[in-house]
This record gives sequence, structure tokens and C-alpha cells, in this order.
Amino acid sequence: MSISYKNSSSKNIAIINSSSTINNASKEALDAALIYGSYEQNIALFFQGEGVRQLIKNQNTEAVRVKNFLKTMAAFELYDIENIYLCKKSLIERGLEEDFHVKNIQVLNVNEFLNKLHHHHVILRF
Amino acid sequence: MQTLSVVITTPPSSYLTITAIDFIKNAIEAGISVVGVFFYQDGVLNSSANLSMPNDEFQTPNEWRKLHTMHNISLHVCISACEKRGLTDDIEINDISFKSNNQQQSNISQYFTVSGLGELVELTSKSQRTVQF
Repeated sequence: MSISYKNSSSKNIAIINSSSTINNASKEALDAALIYGSYEQNIALFFQGEGVRQLIKNQNTEAVRVKNFLKTMAAFELYDIENIYLCKKSLIERGLEEDFHVKNIQVLNVNEFLNKLHHHHVILRF
Repeated sequence: MQTLSVVITTPPSSYLTITAIDFIKNAIEAGISVVGVFFYQDGVLNSSANLSMPNDEFQTPNEWRKLHTMHNISLHVCISACEKRGLTDDIEINDISFKSNNQQQSNISQYFTVSGLGELVELTSKSQRTVQF
């Protein structure tokens, strides 16, 4: 492709993921995130609402016949996806502990979460 | 010149798709350059060659066709999202009988470009703004 992606790297891309793990949108959000990562874009992932469950350890998605695509998240570092934010309020509402299967997750309160989001030029939501 | 890219994630039956079409038309009228539309998730259903809307309803497929033919707007569909939803440009492999009966090798409308997620990256990086529906 002819486009120089390096030149546009000043643009910050956010992917908001608020879908439950078993929803197809979760995987489609992850696919998009990995592509942005592989094109060396400044990509950040925002997990909120039901989306926070995707980061919790030891989920048995196969029990409900959903392929365990969460394993792919182990490749975030490889794709230079370093900014992963999670809404603390969503976690508390669901009674979930901060026990994640992905490293370096930043758990933020609502204001911090929104402030981070405001630093992005493109926001895609799933 | 202001530049815009649009991401469609809703099916043709969704009111959001109608809103998106109106939005794009108004952007063109306002002199904004629409660098492309990317169809992802259920949005790819808009690219089906077999869509047929009742006459008295909003003609979503015609509107996409017009945006492409009259305004030269690229309509990119994510092929992996398509194939999950029964849309393919390679029917030959999936169903030989379908091909021989209809002499048709794609059920994706000719006005759409078969692409991948890389195109989404390209569109977001070459437009000043991206709007998702």
C-alpha cells in the first residue's frame, strides 16, 4: 500500500469495547485492534461495561461454545498495543476482582477514563 | 479541504444506516471530501447483491449505488465479516451448484470493493475525521 503510516502516527485511535465476551463484536473489536497495531498506529483499548469481563482470568468460553479468542490478547505486546484502559466502576458494579489475564492494564476511575478518551482523534466502539 | 471517512456497522434494515446515508450526502453537499466508507460487522450486509426493498420503503441499496456511481465514493467491505454472513466473492469454491445455475461468482454488489481491515486503517489515517454508525 502506498500510504506512509508513519506520517499519520500522530493520530490516536481508541477502540471502546463494551461487548460481552460471548458477543461476536468482542472478537471483531480485537481483530480491528490487532490490525491497527500491526500498521504501527497509536492504538489504545478501552474496556467498559460488559467488556471488562474479557480481561478477567480463567474464563471458560468453550463451555458456551465460543472459541477462546481471549488467548490472542497475549499478543498485545508483540503488536505494540501498550495502552489498555479499564473502567473501575464497571468492574465494581459486576463484583469482579482486578485479576487479569493480560499484563499492564490501567484501571481508571470514570473521570480518568473519560480524560484518556478525550486524547484520541478516532474512536471506534464495539 | 476537509476530509471524512465513515464506518458502517449496522445492517440495511437499521435506521442508523439511513442516518449514515443522509450524513454522507450532507457532507458531500457541504464540500467535504468523503475519502471512503468502510463496512464492518453487520454493516457488510449492505453489500449484498440480493437485497430487495419494498418499493415504498427507503431504498438503501440504491442509495449506496448512487453514492458510488454519482459521487465516486469507495465502498469497502471487510471480506472476513462478509464470509461469516453468507457474502462471498468466491462462490465457486463454496458452492459449485450455485455457480453453474446462476453463472454468478459473487453475491457482493458490484458497487462495493472487497477489502480487509487494513483498508479501515488506511481510511482513518488519511481522513481528518472518522464517523462510525
